[in-house]
Amino acid sequence: MAATDIDTVRQQIREFVFETFLFGDESEAFANDDSFMEKGIIDSTGVLELTAFLEERYGITVDDEEMVPANLDSVDNLAAYIGRKQQ
Amino acid sequence: MNVIDLLTRTAATFPDKAALIHQEQRISFGELWSAVSRLASRLQQLNLAPGSRVAILFENSIDYAVSFFAVFESGLVAVPLDTSLGPENHNFILADCQASVLLVQGRYRRHLGRILGDNLSLRLLVSDKPVAVPGSTVAVETFEEIGVRDVRVDPPAVPESAGDDTHHHELAAIFYTSGSTGSSKGVMLSHLNLVSNTLATVEYLRLTPDDSVLVILPFYYIYGNSLLLTHVAVGGTLVIDNRFMYPEVVLDTMEREEVTGFSGVPSNFMILLNNSTFASRKLEHLRYFTQAGGAMAPEVIRKLMDAFGHKEIFIMYGQTEAAPRVTWLPPEKLSEKLGSIGIPVPGVTVEVLSESGQTVIPGETGEITVVGDNVMLGYWNQPEETAEVLHDGRLYTGDLARVDEDGYFYVVGRKREIIKTGGHRVSAKEIEERILEHEKVAEATVFGVRDDILGEAIRAVVVLRPGCQADEKEIQSHCQKKLAAHQIPKRVQFMDALPKYQSGKVNKMALKNRDS
Repeated sequence: MAATDIDTVRQQIREFVFETFLFGDESEAFANDDSFMEKGIIDSTGVLELTAFLEERYGITVDDEEMVPANLDSVDNLAAYIGRKQQ
Repeated sequence: MNVIDLLTRTAATFPDKAALIHQEQRISFGELWSAVSRLASRLQQLNLAPGSRVAILFENSIDYAVSFFAVFESGLVAVPLDTSLGPENHNFILADCQASVLLVQGRYRRHLGRILGDNLSLRLLVSDKPVAVPGSTVAVETFEEIGVRDVRVDPPAVPESAGDDTHHHELAAIFYTSGSTGSSKGVMLSHLNLVSNTLATVEYLRLTPDDSVLVILPFYYIYGNSLLLTHVAVGGTLVIDNRFMYPEVVLDTMEREEVTGFSGVPSNFMILLNNSTFASRKLEHLRYFTQAGGAMAPEVIRKLMDAFGHKEIFIMYGQTEAAPRVTWLPPEKLSEKLGSIGIPVPGVTVEVLSESGQTVIPGETGEITVVGDNVMLGYWNQPEETAEVLHDGRLYTGDLARVDEDGYFYVVGRKREIIKTGGHRVSAKEIEERILEHEKVAEATVFGVRDDILGEAIRAVVVLRPGCQADEKEIQSHCQKKLAAHQIPKRVQFMDALPKYQSGKVNKMALKNRDS
């Protein structure tokens, strides 16, 4: 799968998180560098939905040892991680 | 012995031992005792009536432990709040228990206005950070101002006796939990309930001062509370890590801190076994695992045994109303009795009774009942609900089971409509009532369906009012405003009509079977 523009990836991730975990509630705003863990947006089972989305949407494989905050815990971290995986 | 005696004795005996570790923060039992004493002194200055309630809203942390034990040192009643509930739920609980004090973590400050709402009972709010509640007349102070952060240590003297039992039947804590018939109920636990069950658990787990447990379970949850009390009782160490959404981080903590024990609910073990490097880690210092909080499928237990069968695996059963531990399965019996919840914990009598009140014979099914010092005092301000489960000198658990020839119990079902999802206990009725509040909804029914990760996932089936249209997201979004995250139906389906029995009751079994 061709690498996706990073801004597009950020937007796609935001939409997924917004729809899946916040149920489209516009009062629950979050910034691209907000920690999902700190803000309580996603829990341990939610992370599995997130990785399933990444694998399906971006054609990458998320290895168990890559499921760490540095890769997954914010929109910015996710976009950078996907970028690295797609190179 | 009261709950505070568990800490006093350990602080006197092991003042320099690590009590709690939370990432870079560490506190010894002596330091913990000192912090507890200072916060307790402030609470005592309020001259509250003995038994007044103090609500605690903190994530797992050293400050949670300081808050919790300070309440007991003050002769007051602890009301731990579920941090995943919304502000309106917290407001309800504060009013329901008429809390006089709220000990709250600063991270919840933007919700304080709604948490307090029109509350009239609170006299003091104490936080770990400066907070303000516009429009409120409640006094606000910080741990820093009270002197809780002073490092000076004054450990207590070693007690000469086992502790005074005069007050051990008095209320110690109220743990709010979902009931079968709607909103949260406050489970009232006495000092005797908590202390007796703590000591029984220490006994069968064979905990010693050399033990340390990795804590991912919330302390406001009765299973997490049990970790706190057992390790304080024995002089063990609690290693807190709240980052289980990233299991590798927690596994690294387990290895780095060389913990001897790990406790989880079924979804924790599923995630570890299927979505982490858990099975390939050596975890050399780990002696045991405990599992409770719902039935874990035998195939998952087998996977855990394949990976760590050389370590002790304790399968356990209980409920908040039993403080919580009712049965345990001795690890050496795990293979032979796979699927069983084991035998009664020390000091507790468990009998499975038929509808007619007779003890069942092996192979027969009946309801699990409990007699013991661990059985709750009742539900706070709910005498009718209390009488439903506490009568004839027993706690009727609502869980159906059979007993084998050796006296080992096997849960086969549930009498009341509680869904156990991801370790949380959820009332189907409560969710139905909330969904019914949506203007487009005519009827709604909620039930649990088997889920590989959660144990049970919440499913809602909705009938809309004539002429109305709605989708799954709209119903889930409506639920999100009124319920905790773990109570939101994972799937919402729509039908023109719900299947019903002749009595008019919804045939949930038909709906469950439809998908299987």
